[in-house]
Amino acid sequence: MSRRSQGRPVLGEVAGGLVLAFLVMPIFAVVPASMNDASFIKIPPAVYSFRWYGQFFHDPSWISALANSVEVAVLATVFSVAIGTSAALGIERLPPATRSLAVGLVLSPLIVPVIMISISLYYVTRTIGLYGTAAGLALSHALLCLPFVVLNVGVSLKRLDPNLVRAAEGLGAGPWRVFRTVTFPAILPGLAGGATFAFVTSFDEVVISIFIAGYGAKTLPVKLWEQIRFEFTPVAAVASTVILALTMVLFVLARRAAARNAATAAAEDA
Amino acid sequence: MILAGTASPPPAAARSQRAARAVMTAALLLPATLFLAGWFLWPLGQLLVLSLSSPEGPTAAYRALAESEVFRSVFVNTLLLAVVVTVICTLLAYPAAWLLTRVRGFWFSVALYCVLLPFWISILVRTFSWMLLLERNGPVNNLLMAVGATHQPLRLLFNQFSVHVGMVHVLLPYAILPIYASMLKVDRRLLLASDGLGASSRTTFLRVFLPLTMPGVMAGAAFVFLLALGFFITPALLGGPQNLTAAMLIDSFVNERLVWPMAAAASFILLLMVLAVLLLTSRFVAIGSVMVMK
Repeated sequence: MSRRSQGRPVLGEVAGGLVLAFLVMPIFAVVPASMNDASFIKIPPAVYSFRWYGQFFHDPSWISALANSVEVAVLATVFSVAIGTSAALGIERLPPATRSLAVGLVLSPLIVPVIMISISLYYVTRTIGLYGTAAGLALSHALLCLPFVVLNVGVSLKRLDPNLVRAAEGLGAGPWRVFRTVTFPAILPGLAGGATFAFVTSFDEVVISIFIAGYGAKTLPVKLWEQIRFEFTPVAAVASTVILALTMVLFVLARRAAARNAATAAAEDA
Repeated sequence: MILAGTASPPPAAARSQRAARAVMTAALLLPATLFLAGWFLWPLGQLLVLSLSSPEGPTAAYRALAESEVFRSVFVNTLLLAVVVTVICTLLAYPAAWLLTRVRGFWFSVALYCVLLPFWISILVRTFSWMLLLERNGPVNNLLMAVGATHQPLRLLFNQFSVHVGMVHVLLPYAILPIYASMLKVDRRLLLASDGLGASSRTTFLRVFLPLTMPGVMAGAAFVFLLALGFFITPALLGGPQNLTAAMLIDSFVNERLVWPMAAAASFILLLMVLAVLLLTSRFVAIGSVMVMK
């Protein structure tokens, strides 16, 4: 590429690099803040220490919040993967016009402002006794997880050769057997991707949780929110770093799986 | 002959086969349909009923919101905030998307990770990071003082500025992805043709590349605007008392003033605003495609 690769684009690329740095670097400010010896936040710390990590992991209220978060996220993931996979299989069989309507309905919890979903669920869960329970919170998070499961499984389903299903049916396999031996292995990558993002969506969720977690199902983000509204403590930075570390690990695993997938797909196409 | 027989079964059998297929499709869709009806649409329906149940009459809550100077200004501020954040996000997203199309191999992976990672990181954690960075004695103020830009720490937190920074930071990736997708679709030969016909790189950019990527820019802007309207966590933590958004107003109706009909009515007004934006921009926005890229 001739002159374009010299003049103006260089400026554009530098600007782009700065924007990407702006996007990523501030995320990690909580990490040095958590390794402070002092009892106030200082970046960078004058003296590094892990004493606030000790505080975090020995405080039953933080630990139970972490445990609640994991419990709710697992429940929300299992539930949304089960009904989302089923829905994606059903949507694939619909005629195109109905299909976009169904996808629209599944996506709509991401369009409606989350504050509105939160207060409506706050109102309803109190009347039916699911306020402040892990089950109520998991069902609520599942609203936000479901779209990612349906979309990811849908993408895998589109790649599945329909002749494989027809061949299995022609050879006498029943619907369940076709699903188990042909469809399921094919959608497994999409399912795993959807499930991972569903887990993180629930684990990170704050707004709905603030409204309906109560005392019974207080999650890590809710406790963190309550803390930092009033003061910045090094323990809050530790809690943030714990959330950050967990989601980073899942992010890297998911990207690696996606890359491996793309490589397999390319090999199959070749 | 036998083959022909298996290929087209008699009409009755075909009909029953179609019926069985329809039953199966309905069965697959049933759990999600029941769930969304019971845990999404029904609660929203309850909220609608609630919004119409003020003691002073069915439309009292809506009228109170429309007539009050204070409440009107909250909605106007929410709109203005969304506009400003959308403009900044779009301007910043364009060069970032451009960079993604220019790098290869390892650096491409790094750049892509920079865009995708923020989707996974809790908004609360990212907002808290900004609180620490913009603090009175925080790194940003220290840097400004070290380079001599200011003699005493600036008030960077709990005002309009910090709300803008935080919201742009959270919403930027939603603008980058659609713009990047539209840049990938541009036929490079058109650029070469423009180049070969003697256009300067500036002219090629302004007359060829920019117009071809406008659909992506519109999609990104629409998406950011849509999400910005309902923002709660970031303005609540980074803003001051004067930076009230519609979502914060709804929260205060529920948790401080305990006026449910007002909260419900305000959320339906907010929803109408979101739906209006969605309707106006539906030509550009394919929300599903952005969600899948995460």
